Amino acid sequence: MADPLPAATAVLAARIADRADSWDRSGLIPVGTLRELGSAGALCAEVPTRYGGLGLDSLANGELTAEAGSRCSSVRSVMTSQGMAAWTVQRFGTPEQQASWLPRLTGGELAAVGFSEADAGSDLSAMATTIERQGEDVVVEGRKVWVTSAHYADLLVLFGRYQDGAAAVVVPTGVPGVRVRRIADPLGCRAAGHADVRLDQVRLPAGHVLGGAGLPLPLLVTTALAYGRMSVAWGCVGILRACLAAAVRHSRTREQFGKPIGEHQLVAGHLADLLVAEQTATRVCEHASRCWDAGSPDQVIATVLAKHISAGQAAKAASAAVQVLASAGAADGGVVARAYRDAKLMEIIEGSNEMCRLMLADHVLARVPEESR
Amino acid sequence: MSTAVTDLETVQKELLRFLESRTRRAWGPDLDLFAEGGQSSLFAMELVVHLEKSFGISVRGADLRLDNFRTVTGMTALVGRLQRQAIGAQDG
Repeated sequence: MADPLPAATAVLAARIADRADSWDRSGLIPVGTLRELGSAGALCAEVPTRYGGLGLDSLANGELTAEAGSRCSSVRSVMTSQGMAAWTVQRFGTPEQQASWLPRLTGGELAAVGFSEADAGSDLSAMATTIERQGEDVVVEGRKVWVTSAHYADLLVLFGRYQDGAAAVVVPTGVPGVRVRRIADPLGCRAAGHADVRLDQVRLPAGHVLGGAGLPLPLLVTTALAYGRMSVAWGCVGILRACLAAAVRHSRTREQFGKPIGEHQLVAGHLADLLVAEQTATRVCEHASRCWDAGSPDQVIATVLAKHISAGQAAKAASAAVQVLASAGAADGGVVARAYRDAKLMEIIEGSNEMCRLMLADHVLARVPEESR
Repeated sequence: MSTAVTDLETVQKELLRFLESRTRRAWGPDLDLFAEGGQSSLFAMELVVHLEKSFGISVRGADLRLDNFRTVTGMTALVGRLQRQAIGAQDG
């Protein structure tokens, strides 16, 4: 079969084209555009072909995600949400649930994943949303905040307390008791459809609970987030590529003191730093994706590392790119202005810088050889 | 993918070797990795990935409960059960 990556990349390029700036300013992407990307399989490209997906491996999906990230971090955020929803269904759903939900996620329906609550951000153990079994049904009750893409979503994959542990439940946004309220003006990824979600006595068939059993909340959330972290990491590679390209273009053409500003050493230093940032993030993402594709257990920590490095590099480099473009980059909605705002959020979402560092520290602490303790 | 049943003693030995190489300390088959061993949910994920890759199984849904990964003995039993199920599914 032909490599599906070039076609998926072309669909993204054609649908986004030069529209990212206006989507950023209006805070909305036309939902028809997102459905077209979804139907092309581009929003959750690792879903196997038997469920209508493109069956990309992590490395190829990473390149696709970077392509989206270089053009529009709002579209890339929608991709992250859709991909994480699909991954959660793949990992925790029964074969029947996979066969039922995955073709919908590659068929044009849009999905979002809800973890955070007002009092449960990094500390998800404080999660208060409940999924309660009542005969053949479950009843979902709770509040989720900052659910990326929920404004566009047909389906929500929500985490809540279930039996003696926790579970993920698939909640169609159209059922009684679900209310989705868009957050109109987020700092970054402004058109990603962030929303708060209220669930008041939402009754669903028990078959909507993925896997049907209570699992430990940390394992459940860590597993779902692993995909999201890879997606954010690669999205940051895209941000870095866009910033590097914009800074280089401007440095070649803008002249001050009688020569292109790229020939002034302090500006040239920024360009070198941008290249270092882009290459560092790319290499660490490639390593993590190769670990996924090889089925190596190293993928777990490599994913956290990739997310942390890429987000930090993107935030710093976007700031440098704004500095290089100066007034030419300061108009809201422009590529480096968006990158500056979008990259900052990447240091917060899917495990903040601080949480990533704690995980990395735990990892090394648990592995110091006994004799050297 | 064809799955063969690995004998349980081999599974146990391989898991102890894996744990020792990962954590750089000695393990017993019934030591609780999470309660006594101080390991995290990230480490549980590493174990899931390792079991899937090494023994040709797929750990999904309700089998992802932590009790299945708490001890080497528990993981050995899980591998045995999932390998037999996979063979049963192929024969059936």
